[in-house]
Amino acid sequence: MSTEPDRAATFEAPDDFDAINRIYREKHWSDGLPVVPPTAARVDAMLRHTQRGRHDVVARIAPGFGAATVERIAINAVLAGCDPEYLPVLIAATEAVADPAFNLQGIQATTNPVAVWLVVNGPVARRLQVNATFNCIGQGAWANATLGRALRLILQNIGGALPGAMDRATHGQPGKYTFCCAENEEHHPWQPLHVERGFALTDSTVTVVGAEGTMNMNTHAKDADELARVIAETMMHPPSNEYVHGGEPWFILGSEHAEIFQRAGWDKARVKRELWQRSKMAVRQLSVKEIDRARASRTGELGELSADTLLPISPSADDIQLIIAGGPGTHSVYVPCFGNSRAVTRRVGDA
Amino acid sequence: MAKQGKAAVTVCSTAFLTLGRAQARALGNAELPIAVIPHPFGGRTRDEVRKIAEQCAADIAKLVSGASS
Repeated sequence: MSTEPDRAATFEAPDDFDAINRIYREKHWSDGLPVVPPTAARVDAMLRHTQRGRHDVVARIAPGFGAATVERIAINAVLAGCDPEYLPVLIAATEAVADPAFNLQGIQATTNPVAVWLVVNGPVARRLQVNATFNCIGQGAWANATLGRALRLILQNIGGALPGAMDRATHGQPGKYTFCCAENEEHHPWQPLHVERGFALTDSTVTVVGAEGTMNMNTHAKDADELARVIAETMMHPPSNEYVHGGEPWFILGSEHAEIFQRAGWDKARVKRELWQRSKMAVRQLSVKEIDRARASRTGELGELSADTLLPISPSADDIQLIIAGGPGTHSVYVPCFGNSRAVTRRVGDA
Repeated sequence: MAKQGKAAVTVCSTAFLTLGRAQARALGNAELPIAVIPHPFGGRTRDEVRKIAEQCAADIAKLVSGASS
């Protein structure tokens, strides 16, 4: 094995898929699934899809603060089964998770099940066929499956967040294997996410979100007011990091639900305002310990909290984030988030 | 702080000791003294917490004197 600072180690291995996977299993370099052997040829093919230098350090990844070089990102992309042209998305995602606003240290080392969800916008999503429609956060699309998996391997192998060691998640969640989708920009009543966040419609971006899980909302409601009410009531659960810390709740609205809001003349800002206002929860619904935590976290923002204080889920309605995705059906998804984190969007470069 | 020559001790519960040691190594301070308290902490009575705090204070004093000697 040869090593140099910030250069990936190379080692000789038998030309045998099973033997190579045994090595990855023994060294805990996998997520528990078989990996694609990252041969020099495969890594080189991946690196041809970026203009960045092989040994450029894109970011340091908490909690181990390993150097995420372009080469190491490419190696993990190969391991995950990514096509070579996916690399620029992963470089941008790696930059994004290292932004201090994302709080990667907290996300990687917490007992919370938080996973990193990737939302891809712009032309790159269509070019790489990142699924934004049927089963978009389920199985079946190569880009969704392998991009999310590659980021998890980057977080584990470069960041050192091995379960039970530096990843202290009590249970974790299936989204920690992979969690990635695109936004459906073609059937969108409002501005897509990346435009709302200051990018041009023609830009390609990736957004990282600290997602605690997913909660499906199947409602046949056809009235905007009623739809907002049932979504808001879904948000209100007392053991929520978001109410304790003032979070950033996310939603994947199915296009049928989005259309109901659009027909009622509600723009995205109105939907956010309605959900924020209607999801306020009386402090007394929290446990005594959570009330203490909320006081420690939010007194500066909200003043003294009494049992009757109506606690908003986030500091402002603008903190609520909505994307449009999924196939036909009366479903939308609430994605409760880590609380102490803000999503970060980065442009996907030199694709 | 330790790198600035000041005595530094981290307090951490047993459940997070592996993380604490690994991060200390990753951040270039493998010898960082860590005072360890039993986990979990939240559900304990006031008397139990007092005993843990007294033991922890004694451990910190020992670690600080060790760190500065």
